[in-house]
Amino acid sequence: MEGSGPVIAFWMLAAVTLVAAGGVLVSRNLLHAVLFLILAFIGVAGHFVLLSAEFLAMAQVIIYVGAISVLVLFAILLTPRASRDNGETKAFPFGALLAIALAAVFLFVINDTDWRTVSESPGLAPEALGEALLTTWVLPFEIASVLLTAALVGSIMLARTAEEEAEDALA
Amino acid sequence: MTDTIKSEPFVLNIGPQHPSTHGVFRIKATVDGEKVIDAEMVMGYLHRSMEKLAEERTYVQNIPFTDRTDYLSSMSNNLGYCLAVEKLAGIDVPDRGNAIRVIMAEFQRLASHCMAVGAFTNDTGAWQTPVMWCFREREKILDLFEMTCGARLTCNYMRIGGVAFDLPASFVPAARKLVQTLPGFIDEMESLLVANEIFIVRTRGVGVLTPEMATNASLSGPMLRGSGIAWDLRKADSYCGYDKYDFEIPIGYRGDSYDRFLVRLEEMRQSVKIIKQALDGLPGGPHSTQVPLALRPPKGEAYARVEGPRGELGYYVVSDEGPSPHRFHIRPPSFINLSALKEMTVGGSVADAIVVLGSIDIVVGEIDR
Amino acid sequence: MALPMLATDNWYDIRDLANLTNPLLDFVGDNISSELAYILGPLIGFIASFLIFVLPSQLYVGVYGERKLIGRIQSRLGPNRVGPFGLIQPIADAIKLMQKEALTPKLGDPIIMNLAPIIFVAPAVLLFAVIPFGPNMIVANVNVGLLYFLAVSSLPVLAAFMAGWGSNNKYSLFGAMRIVAMSISYEVPLVLALLGVALFTDSLSLQGMVLWQKEWDIWVGFLMPIAFVIYFICVSAELNRTPTDIAEAESEIVAGYLTEYSGMKWGLFYGMDIGYALAASAFAATVFLGGWSMFGLDKFIPPWLLLVVKTHLFYMLFIWTRGTLPRLRIDQLMAFAWKFMLPVALANLLLVATERMLWVDAFDSKQAMLYVFMIVNIAAAVGIVYVWARFLGYDPDSQPTKARLVKEAGGYVPVGREVR
Repeated sequence: MEGSGPVIAFWMLAAVTLVAAGGVLVSRNLLHAVLFLILAFIGVAGHFVLLSAEFLAMAQVIIYVGAISVLVLFAILLTPRASRDNGETKAFPFGALLAIALAAVFLFVINDTDWRTVSESPGLAPEALGEALLTTWVLPFEIASVLLTAALVGSIMLARTAEEEAEDALA
Repeated sequence: MTDTIKSEPFVLNIGPQHPSTHGVFRIKATVDGEKVIDAEMVMGYLHRSMEKLAEERTYVQNIPFTDRTDYLSSMSNNLGYCLAVEKLAGIDVPDRGNAIRVIMAEFQRLASHCMAVGAFTNDTGAWQTPVMWCFREREKILDLFEMTCGARLTCNYMRIGGVAFDLPASFVPAARKLVQTLPGFIDEMESLLVANEIFIVRTRGVGVLTPEMATNASLSGPMLRGSGIAWDLRKADSYCGYDKYDFEIPIGYRGDSYDRFLVRLEEMRQSVKIIKQALDGLPGGPHSTQVPLALRPPKGEAYARVEGPRGELGYYVVSDEGPSPHRFHIRPPSFINLSALKEMTVGGSVADAIVVLGSIDIVVGEIDR
Repeated sequence: MALPMLATDNWYDIRDLANLTNPLLDFVGDNISSELAYILGPLIGFIASFLIFVLPSQLYVGVYGERKLIGRIQSRLGPNRVGPFGLIQPIADAIKLMQKEALTPKLGDPIIMNLAPIIFVAPAVLLFAVIPFGPNMIVANVNVGLLYFLAVSSLPVLAAFMAGWGSNNKYSLFGAMRIVAMSISYEVPLVLALLGVALFTDSLSLQGMVLWQKEWDIWVGFLMPIAFVIYFICVSAELNRTPTDIAEAESEIVAGYLTEYSGMKWGLFYGMDIGYALAASAFAATVFLGGWSMFGLDKFIPPWLLLVVKTHLFYMLFIWTRGTLPRLRIDQLMAFAWKFMLPVALANLLLVATERMLWVDAFDSKQAMLYVFMIVNIAAAVGIVYVWARFLGYDPDSQPTKARLVKEAGGYVPVGREVR
């Protein structure tokens, strides 16, 4: 990709992502915050596209926008008085401290990284990704899947009521 | 939703303007998520004070009023009222008048059940198709009514002592033709819905009425028969010579919405059977006895009941020898049947509540009168 | 003779319209500016696909055709007043909608509520970018077209949710809650079904799938009938079409998340609902029904025409189910997704993966193997569905479907008692 197109796209996406991320912070309405978060996710996906990582971009949208955000929305729906203003909190100093610490780490990493520019596409084809996951990184991959299964079973156990357990025992 | 997820119950107003309340009727449902935990019926939006108004008008003038209570079965309403006044005044109806009444009442039952079945399937979500099919058949029946008395919906056809006019010459052939085609239509509806897996899961086990509940709430009609109680006034307390006709009472198995639907479909078949017999044995003679226009029945009271499409349709008339009834009361089947709504809906979901309401087959004009 | 403006030697190759536009774009890119060509390419693609496909389809298949066909199903005529055969009806509808006032509830969230229809429209347009209309007629030949489609099609759920939340209406909230719950559930079997297709065709790009089907002269829909049926059911759930239109269930929750919308705000939702259904149909035609290829027939018929016809035929299925089936309850719908479709999709995936292994390692008669697989899979589809349904307790003959008949009026008749 050459020309000014990607540059314009980069700055637009960067602006959208940053503004949306800022919106998450300043928005007092919980739902608005989630919607801003979704916009930020989409902006990040756009950056992935610019980096020729289409697969990652699509995964970002499917997982973060399509699934995780929807789960968050669902949680908001089930929370009583979710539309109330997300106002002052006593945990503010700790939150600020954490944020500053995190920012420091980020700045350090950003400063420390060697920002190389490569001219050719990194070749992150889905085939390569799949191959890597199922050969080199098969152990972490399997561990992650076991972890997810455990989480799934755990959540089902938590959500079950006593009556349902009694029913299952009878069956 | 399971109980572990805490959600606040809130009040959902189903109606008075809602696609599935069949008129201006309102269920004030308290819901927890989708689950109905309380249901309160609010009615009276269509109240026209008919029973009071009737006390100021003569006996004959009251017949059009009865059209407008249950506007989907005006013939049956006419019939019930006329029977009550005839009982009060001791008037006999000629055989031909009775046969015409039976034909009309059964056609009205068919038309009303068409509407009931169609609206019910619409409530389960079959998007308009069964309704339209049912309307197509109902139109044919209403055409017959129009042929006979000029009106389609509010017929005002029955008179004290018989019926208003004799049947036109073209009626019997037209009715015979229609009666030939109707069973095919009922089969068609059956093939569309009865074995439809989605329809079955939506209605089977939904809104179950045990026989005890049904009798305790003094329900009648398909609601009662759906619960497996063989009770039909046409057999139990015969009128208009219904005992001469050969027909059967369809009853359900366990009293859910599906059974009520099956009962209605089968009742349509039985109605066709009755109409066929009545048309075959249509006697000659006068269609009505002469009754003075300013009828003054002797002092007393009378209650007459007919098996309307929705159940026991009763008229209670008290006379003080005046030209108008001293007291006039209607026993509307929809109103009484509706009283079981709360028991049937609480514990189910909102979608079930709609199905249950559809299976009761209410007519708000009759509930509010 | 090489024609100057065409990228091909044969004049009739303009049946693939891209052979017309690509040289033009090359010319612009070489002589004027590459940026202009960069912008112009997608623009031409979108305009062309809108002019030849989306707009006419939306108006005349989506609005007019659907109303006509549903009318015939319901034994009535459908629109026939405005213009000859009622052909101007969709336009008249649009004008009517534009004239109506677009209400915003006072206590709602006006930003979210007014943003929702806009957000709803954008993905519907974007979905068509990866649909190949011909060998070269594709706006963006992304190598992860399948994932792109899944990703973009998960966005309208958010818009529907915003609509339901911003309306501040209990029915709208019900609709929002239902659609969110449903879309999560139905995404899972959908992806599993499509995974099998990607596995067998060895491609995540939609063009690649079409070319595979063209090469092997077989349609994936026949090769993997389970995946096809699961796709149809899941997509009709996500599109809110009967029997799974619980988020807009008219008889229950009035109009679901659309309850408070009026005028063109509602019109955008309505029009784009059709847009999504068309996109889903086009996707189905591409992935399962051979796309623009048709057993060699695409040599003579413009490929985009083939795709359009297939899309509309698939869309007909949506109309048909809408006209005939009742609606499921939400818990039944969820149970259906998790208890029935998910295991069946997994079984299908296992079957397809096994076949794929055998097929790849086979040295000769690969073509014949595919046809054998097709027959095996169709038989397996019937078997798996039947066995699993039986396992879950499906038994059509166990319950009576006719009322009992008794001769005499009396009290309660127990079910066991012999009647007639």
